Amino acid sequence: MGRLTLFSYKSSNSFLHNLDTRCKLIVLSFLSISILKADFTALIIITIIILGFLASEDIKLISLLKQIKYFILLLFFIFIARAVSTNGDSLFVLSWISFTKQGVIEGVRVCWKFFIIMVMGILFSCSTKPSYLKCAAQWFLRPIPFIPEKRISIMISLFLRFFPLILKQVNNVLDAQKTRCSELQKNPIKKIINVSLPVLKKIFQCADNLAISMEARCYSENRTEPEFIKSGQEKNVYIATIVLSSIMFAF
Amino acid sequence: MKNKKNTLKMTVYASLFAALTAAGAFISIPIGPVPIVLQNIFVLLAGLILGSRWGLASVGVYLLMGACGFPVFAGGTGGIGRLLGPTGGYLLGYIPCVFITGLISEKLSKKIPLILSNIIAMIPGTIIVYLAGVSWLKIVTNMEWTKVFALGVYPFIIGDILKIIAASFAAKIIGKK
Repeated sequence: MGRLTLFSYKSSNSFLHNLDTRCKLIVLSFLSISILKADFTALIIITIIILGFLASEDIKLISLLKQIKYFILLLFFIFIARAVSTNGDSLFVLSWISFTKQGVIEGVRVCWKFFIIMVMGILFSCSTKPSYLKCAAQWFLRPIPFIPEKRISIMISLFLRFFPLILKQVNNVLDAQKTRCSELQKNPIKKIINVSLPVLKKIFQCADNLAISMEARCYSENRTEPEFIKSGQEKNVYIATIVLSSIMFAF
Repeated sequence: MKNKKNTLKMTVYASLFAALTAAGAFISIPIGPVPIVLQNIFVLLAGLILGSRWGLASVGVYLLMGACGFPVFAGGTGGIGRLLGPTGGYLLGYIPCVFITGLISEKLSKKIPLILSNIIAMIPGTIIVYLAGVSWLKIVTNMEWTKVFALGVYPFIIGDILKIIAASFAAKIIGKK
């Protein structure tokens, strides 16, 4: 679970924490889409804004980069692919591959965009409680026909319940195997079977028990409607988002 | 699936599979130098065990959680950026994948032996994931088709064949209960 720490909720009383969750979700999706059209001027503006929010949320940039190092590796591959495959003036030649000037600029731009989208997602999950997220998802799904939003909301809370449970069960089984000298087992297929079958069995038993106990407590889809707390700043945030998005489309 | 009791049970199971898919992105089984990531095996299993409709619900919740920023995608990342990012095609490809896998296995499982029908059902599902993933990768990175295939398909084929075989047996064991 240690790896989850950065992306999970951090309690605080900052501007982002107090915003309405629905507002945060709308702004996040809106910016994520409009940023795909952005050019360097707009990217610099939004990077400064995001760095400001990171500082206000008390997230260190270095630890953030450490946590998403696999993502950065992926970005690096995309940069190389862009730099090599775009046609243009040759910048320098590395053995037989030539990097073009246009390709490098294009690669930097694409990677920058993906990085900003990623950091925005992290800011959102740091400042939003999972239960609020569930309520907001239910609220957004309500107007869509043929989607049982209440059942999905139950599924989300079950998901949040199961997710850490599975990771814990796997660790338990791995530890139990270790005490029984599983290191001596050389056959990889047997190793997998020895771990996966007990884990699956335990988890499915858990799910069975949960279904029975939910039923025993007359669990139904008629839940209390979620309530949202507004900070009063939502209107300003929407206006700022529209301005920012139009900057991104214009430049 | 008509009565209320089954609905509740299937809801629990669909959430369980969504959580398993998310956990599969975290758990890697260390055999040899390349660890196996279990994300897609659970998507296929969801299709086989839950069927097309509930499998779809399970993958839908998984992707919804991911889009909302919960760290459920490979490497402990999340966010709508990941869905729009370079590997987003594979994730969105899970939606048709689970539906088709579920549909075929529902149709076939009564006619031919279970393991065989499971394998037949999973092959088109896996191909759909690759098609969606590769075409999205091509659009984003603008590489040539040969390069895209070398990066996005060839390294995973052997692993996926093993996963399909493992999933067909696992589905039989789980389905018995």
